[in-house]
Amino acid sequence: MITPEMLEEPQKVTWCTGCGNFGILAALKKAVIELGKPIHEIVLASGIGCSSKIPHYIGGVNSIHTLHGRPIPIATGIHLANTNLDVIVHTGDGDCLAEGLGHFVHAARRNVDIAVFIHNNGVNGLTKGQYSPAAPRGYVSNTSPPPPGAPMDPVNPMAQAITAGATFVARGFSGDQKGLVNLMLEAIRHKGFAVIDILQPCVTWNRQLTWKYYNEHTYALEETGHDVTNKFKALEKAMENGDRYPVGVFYKVESPDLASGIALPEKGTLKDHTTDLKDVQKIIDDLLL
Amino acid sequence: MTMDITFNIGGAAGQGIDTIGDLLTQVFVQAGFYTFTTKDFESRIRGGYNFTQIRVSDIPIYASVDQIDVIIALSVDAVVGQRDNLSEGGVIIFDESIEFEDLEACHFSAPLEKIAREVGGNVKMMNAAALGAVIAVINFPFELVRQVLTDIFGRKGEKIVAGNVDVAKALYDLTKSNFTGTCKYNLETLEKGSCTDKLILTGNKALALGAIAANVKWISSYPMSPSTSVFQDIVGYSQQLKIGSIQTEDEIASLAMAIGASFAGARSMVTTSGGGFALMVEALGFAAMIETPVVIYNAQRPGPSTGLPTRTEQADLLFMAFSSQGEFPRIILAPKDPVEAFNVATRAFNLADKFQIPVMILGDQYFADSVMNIPRIDVSGVKRDKGKLARSRADPDYKRYLLTEDGISPRAFPGDKGKTIVSAGNVHREDGHITEDAEMRKLMVQKFMNKIPAIMTELNPPQIYGTAQADTTLLTWGSTWGAAYEAVKSLAAKGESINQLHFCDVFPLRTAKLREVFAQSKQVIAVEQNITSQFASLVRMHTGLAVKQHINKYDGRPMTPGWIISELEEGGIV
Repeated sequence: MITPEMLEEPQKVTWCTGCGNFGILAALKKAVIELGKPIHEIVLASGIGCSSKIPHYIGGVNSIHTLHGRPIPIATGIHLANTNLDVIVHTGDGDCLAEGLGHFVHAARRNVDIAVFIHNNGVNGLTKGQYSPAAPRGYVSNTSPPPPGAPMDPVNPMAQAITAGATFVARGFSGDQKGLVNLMLEAIRHKGFAVIDILQPCVTWNRQLTWKYYNEHTYALEETGHDVTNKFKALEKAMENGDRYPVGVFYKVESPDLASGIALPEKGTLKDHTTDLKDVQKIIDDLLL
Repeated sequence: MTMDITFNIGGAAGQGIDTIGDLLTQVFVQAGFYTFTTKDFESRIRGGYNFTQIRVSDIPIYASVDQIDVIIALSVDAVVGQRDNLSEGGVIIFDESIEFEDLEACHFSAPLEKIAREVGGNVKMMNAAALGAVIAVINFPFELVRQVLTDIFGRKGEKIVAGNVDVAKALYDLTKSNFTGTCKYNLETLEKGSCTDKLILTGNKALALGAIAANVKWISSYPMSPSTSVFQDIVGYSQQLKIGSIQTEDEIASLAMAIGASFAGARSMVTTSGGGFALMVEALGFAAMIETPVVIYNAQRPGPSTGLPTRTEQADLLFMAFSSQGEFPRIILAPKDPVEAFNVATRAFNLADKFQIPVMILGDQYFADSVMNIPRIDVSGVKRDKGKLARSRADPDYKRYLLTEDGISPRAFPGDKGKTIVSAGNVHREDGHITEDAEMRKLMVQKFMNKIPAIMTELNPPQIYGTAQADTTLLTWGSTWGAAYEAVKSLAAKGESINQLHFCDVFPLRTAKLREVFAQSKQVIAVEQNITSQFASLVRMHTGLAVKQHINKYDGRPMTPGWIISELEEGGIV
């Protein structure tokens, strides 16, 4: 059993006071406890940015704090080398949707059995407030060309995930602890590529996507009778770019995962498997003229 | 007599020149000879002008040569393409369907396709037809061919054997009566050769075999000539041996995945060429920072950019040695041929695990695609050293980056009960969590560097070939070994005082032997398949010793012994 004490942060948290990441960290700790999995079989893989410092604020859990945009392929390698592990990726919108977008789409298409939690705040926070790929058109920042602000539309991670082939796609909100914990548990337990786009205010840089804004502009998707197995309906919800953002599970289906198509051992893991040298000798001897 | 004969089979891509080449190689290998085959092809799927060149000898050979004795041409381009390289008394055999009128005494038009169809009932037997014609021209005993064809096609049934033998015999007889020229080789009285090396391998194939023997459990790659066949071969064995593999979206993901798999405990590798490696550089630094072993194979081709995709060069050495921001240890091994390649592959995985660093295997197209027959590889001597591992008992205080005298911390893996494994690309503390502490930063950099003395003793020293001391020393590394070796041998036989100093383990550089040789030899000549003598630069950087004369080839075509000799002569070196 995992206790809250085991998860106490190994390092002092460096996020700003009031940062949306605190809600995500709190939810992650609750989810890890409720998951019922031995702690040594959990691995966090993160990218670069404020979001990706999370492994240092949760104790006792294996982690790998990787490269900007690359946590997903690294997590894919970890998962396939040892499919007993639950691999959870923590990434930001700047991480996952800029440098990492190609990997994100391909991982979804492979339906690799990992969970990806995108801390989405619409800015590149750690580099001090530049517009991220999730920033709305017109978002004014220190790198958006004046006067119009970001001269392009944002990446839609939900729509990207659904069309690419992810089999679990949800949106959470850092301010909704209960809902977020449940989404995290469902995503981790889902067999296949599971994505949660987690709305999260950056209190320092983002004057537009604030706690107040999200509290007023989100609604629970499950209360609308949404059918989570209907891909087109899910996409429709993902494309809802109006005044209000749906939160909850958009899409959830079963489909063969990547591991089922890879030459993994029938028993045990790839990491513990040993090639018999006799088999290698036979391969060589069969090549002899 | 010494036999040293070179065949060139030329034609368009897709015409089956490789099949004829393979058959010829097999015939001579089965008959007890040494062979060395190179492939010269264009970056296209069909058409163009490609050739396979097979050198056959009754003594060991290690390179291709310039002079061709028999050309088998499947297209008009091939009839004329190598005419200038045809030796005195050489022969060009071409199918009678090829329209070519400038006939000389060396030309011999033969009904290869017609006989294949009429006698064998199958155009595919044109291979056997070509073989029959070649054999007749050089007066090779047909009985040997019959035996070999029976051995090779035996598995496919009697009908196929008989068809191939009949077609070969028909062309043999026809050529005997119609061919009026003489080839300089008359092998009528030939007995079987004495070579018993029956394993026909490319450098790439040997690397793939070495990797599976080393217990590679993960390979993620993106196809890129001339590396791709290693990836293909390992994927081919993956179901049987249980090896995880993915063709990734790009080379960035390839190395990232391999690092992930290695972090989780599986021996991992990637294969690529220079352009793909360029994309991997970011992850290379990450592997170094989190001290996670990984094996990277770069089959070099001429660059920059797309360069010449199917041709050869050794111009990525300094790029491999110094790529990535920051300073950290890495090992580069450059196998000279398939025999060495198998050992290099098994060593690479052990070195990577032992020192928890990236190990690079540096080949090139000439190494990758050239074929030799080598002795049977016995895997019973293969050692698998996983390096320093943490004890399996639970250890709440386990530190993945524990500071130790030799710089190497015991490894554990996620999933190990009672341990927490934390890694980060940031500067980190012993427990893996990130830090900006100045002292810890210094200690962690020193930790990297503390590995180097042990790495140096683990690496193999360079080898001297030829006399222990000489006036002139050729300095070589990687695949140029063979051409230089033969050049030295032939010059030494003429009385020149010349030898060769050759490196397989090129980085970090072992300098003791270099200092000795620079002190002893009057002139040290860099022989490299690049324009700037990159290895010589490395030597100068690490020893202050300057190579003053250079022989460089950078046209994308491999060196031959003859080319090296003529360069040495032109440069007034010999």
